Amino acid sequence: MEEREAIPPGTLAMLILKTLARGGEMHGFEIAEAIRRHSEDVLQVEEGSLYPALQRMLMKGWLTGEWSKTAEGRRARYYQVTPAGRRRLEAELESYYRVARAIAQVLVAE
Amino acid sequence: MGMRDLGRRLKYLLHRDEASGELDEEMRLHIELRTRQLQDRGLGEREARYAARREFGNRAMLEIAASDVWGWGPWERLAQDARYAARSLRKAPGFVAVAVVTLAVGLGMNTAVFSIVSAVMLRSLPYPEPGRLISLWEETPRRQDVGTLNSSGNNLGGVHARTRTTVAAANLMDYRKGAAAFEGLAGVETARMNLTGNGVPERLIGESVTANYFTVMGVAPQLGRTFTEEEDREGGDPVVVLSARFWERRLGSDTAVLDKTVMLDEKPYRVIGVMPRGFEPVTQYGNTEPVEFFVPAAYPKEQLAAHGDHDIGVVGRLKPGATLRTAQAQLDAVSAALAARYPVTNRGITAVIAPLRDDIVQSVSDSLRALLAASGLIVLITCVNVANLLLVRAVARRHETSVRLALGAGRGRIARAFLGESMLVSAAGCAAGIVLGRALMQVLVAAAPQTIPRLATVSMDWRVFSVAAAMTIAAGLVFGLAPAWQASRTRPSESLKATERRGGGTAQSRWRGALTVTEVALSLVLMVGAGLFLKSFTTIMGMDLGFRTEHVLAMNVNLPVLRYKTADLRLAFYQELERRVRALPGVQSVAYANRLPLRGGWSTGIEIENVSESNLSPDSQPVNPGYFEALGIPLVRGRLLTEEDRKGQPYVAVVNLAFARQYLKGGDPLGRRFRRGPQAVWFSIVGIVNDIRRGGKTKDMRPQIYLAAAQTDGYPVRLADFAVRTAGNPRLLANAIQRQVWGIDKDQPVTGVETMEELISESVAVQRFQMLLLGVFAGVAVLLAMIGVFGVLSYSVNQRMNELGVRIALGASPGRILGLVMQQAGGLVAAGAAFGLAGAWGLTRFVGHLLFHVESHDPATYAAAAGILAVVGLAAAMGPALRGARVDPAVTLREE
Repeated sequence: MEEREAIPPGTLAMLILKTLARGGEMHGFEIAEAIRRHSEDVLQVEEGSLYPALQRMLMKGWLTGEWSKTAEGRRARYYQVTPAGRRRLEAELESYYRVARAIAQVLVAE
Repeated sequence: MGMRDLGRRLKYLLHRDEASGELDEEMRLHIELRTRQLQDRGLGEREARYAARREFGNRAMLEIAASDVWGWGPWERLAQDARYAARSLRKAPGFVAVAVVTLAVGLGMNTAVFSIVSAVMLRSLPYPEPGRLISLWEETPRRQDVGTLNSSGNNLGGVHARTRTTVAAANLMDYRKGAAAFEGLAGVETARMNLTGNGVPERLIGESVTANYFTVMGVAPQLGRTFTEEEDREGGDPVVVLSARFWERRLGSDTAVLDKTVMLDEKPYRVIGVMPRGFEPVTQYGNTEPVEFFVPAAYPKEQLAAHGDHDIGVVGRLKPGATLRTAQAQLDAVSAALAARYPVTNRGITAVIAPLRDDIVQSVSDSLRALLAASGLIVLITCVNVANLLLVRAVARRHETSVRLALGAGRGRIARAFLGESMLVSAAGCAAGIVLGRALMQVLVAAAPQTIPRLATVSMDWRVFSVAAAMTIAAGLVFGLAPAWQASRTRPSESLKATERRGGGTAQSRWRGALTVTEVALSLVLMVGAGLFLKSFTTIMGMDLGFRTEHVLAMNVNLPVLRYKTADLRLAFYQELERRVRALPGVQSVAYANRLPLRGGWSTGIEIENVSESNLSPDSQPVNPGYFEALGIPLVRGRLLTEEDRKGQPYVAVVNLAFARQYLKGGDPLGRRFRRGPQAVWFSIVGIVNDIRRGGKTKDMRPQIYLAAAQTDGYPVRLADFAVRTAGNPRLLANAIQRQVWGIDKDQPVTGVETMEELISESVAVQRFQMLLLGVFAGVAVLLAMIGVFGVLSYSVNQRMNELGVRIALGASPGRILGLVMQQAGGLVAAGAAFGLAGAWGLTRFVGHLLFHVESHDPATYAAAAGILAVVGLAAAMGPALRGARVDPAVTLREE
């Protein structure tokens, strides 16, 4: 656990959007697990902070939340990306890649 | 944030409880799933659950963070604070009652006074674009230079400054031509005419105005039209515009009134228009008698040539965008040109303008400002009082505060809770204050002198409410801040250790002491102010008028010129009336003149034989022989006027002592002669009478000449005032005299029936109003200060119970304990008195000019006020002190 990295600030929303865009409907725990799995256990979502972030995205209209049953028959809120959320994701990705590229260029420059 | 965000947020707000349940469920599920996952990896059930929770974080904080996302957090906390405050206040009904009542008294007084100030001074005048309306008058270097003043006493624009005068109609024409900044300048003057025919004869008040008057005011008639330029010319058709009031009252709102005629002063006037109901004639402000008709001024040729006859008032309207300054500059140029062209009449004369509203309220604005300031002091005192109460509460709740702090409440939150309480208290106080203020306002309006302009329009408008709201917030902050700050500085580690009863701490008692000193100081300022006005008023009432006012009834019998064409006809009427009234039972003597004292006057320029000084203008009156007896003016030397002093006999006059003093440097006036102009006849002075204050108690004793009313060719004014001295109540004779008037002429109205006592009472109405109001303010202030002193000392005695118990147990006598507490009281009162005297010294300067023959730094008043305050303050301290002296050491020490 100690080797895990906290998620860089500001990127949590992007990660959630990407995860949901890829995986369709998920509830909170599944999102946290998916982020960790896809990052090969490097990225650690601070579990609790996921929920204020999800509320914020609901408020912004990037996600919708529907209550339904899990495989075990438990009630859970399943989140889904809205078209507005997809547009937001694209915008965030674009700016993220631009910054990442710029950082990489600085780092490899002689 | 778009509209859609807002929509979602509102939806969230409506389903907030549901939403927070859902969030909770989600989080619980998360922890459960994580626990199960950890268990699957081999952790024990308890360890797994702890680990899952640890990793999840503080759920309560996260929930708050999640709900803050929706943006209602601060509001919710505010509502929470308010709920909390309301709950804790409900537990202290006594405190709430005292605080709310105190605030209501302070805010109520202030609201009542402010609603008057707002209506009288701040509200726009009821005309279109009132900001462009101005008042114009002329100023002279010295009043005496003006010569004969207009005897109709037009008081357009309130009190006259020493050098202020009405305008010469001749000059008005030049101002119109020369000042391009005006859209129009209109002449207006009070006109009084007798209405006859069609019912009871009446004397009506009206305005004689130039044709453009209604255009300048911006008000059109509701019926018909106003004057044309042709009608406003000498010899033009006699036409009249009526007020809505007259039209309704006398003509039954007859819509077919146009082109009918009304008889005014025996002359038929054709009705051409009726003004709408809300129209306020300019001369109406400050006059209780309604203005009921308008006639064209139609200045005669002689008047338009006489640049020295200052007769009329002038109102004007500036062109859009024109400023007062440019208009004034243009007028200055015209005044200079006039002075060059007519040096005899116009040298030194300048036209001056001011916004019409300022000019209308000029006579009362200083008084009202003083009263408003006084009521502001009351509000301050009430705030200080409530702050004191809140401090006690804060101290009593230190335990509770400490517990909240220890449990993790932020200091800001604690301070907010206290502020919330004070805000709630002040809001309740404000609401109660507005209710009380409304009632007080009605009382004030009823009690206020009716000469205050626009008094009838006083009501609570948005300005009053917004000021009350602003004061509520300010008050809540002011008296909430000290306790809030105190509470937020509570150190739980210390106060939790202290026993609950004590723990006041030096900081708190210092605060409370400071607040009490403030309160005492503020109330002393008010007391000094009230004392000064009281002294001023008693000085006024103590002024000797020089004549006897009791049992005298005065009235106005104004004979129309068309029926009584000559002065001799008018004299004959009065002589006949005197004969008939003398025969009435209870009548002792009868007086008639142009004007009686306190009812206006006439002054004329004279030259005295063998006296080089010019510019002498004594008050002058034609009077009947009985005048001196009726008014009780004693003869000093020589003789009074007699029946023999009539037309054809030598012209004689009686003068007063001031005449001899001022004009003859103390020389003997008997046998001296004067005349009213180079071509006029000489009058011989045959008697000297005592001085009187013609203008009323606050006026000077001026030189005065009395001419014989029967020598009608000796004076230019008309006989108009009639008075009787009676054995009993003079009021009872009013109807009998009226019948005698109608017995001579059935069309002759009698107006202005008032006893001299009433006239005097009216003449000091403003001063009495000021004094009474300030007296009430000071009384309330002292009461509040007493409560303050009492509160602080009772509290301090409570705090010191143990100490006092120990002292008594060790042998201190009750007298010594009493002295100990009283010493504390003395300190508070002395400090308050010192600050208060200093404050009064600084502040009363601003009301100095409202005082009559009393210095604003009158030492006796200051001493008396401080003395009363000391006695009252120490009396308030006696209760707590006695309680302290009666402390039973056995009881208090056991409590420890």
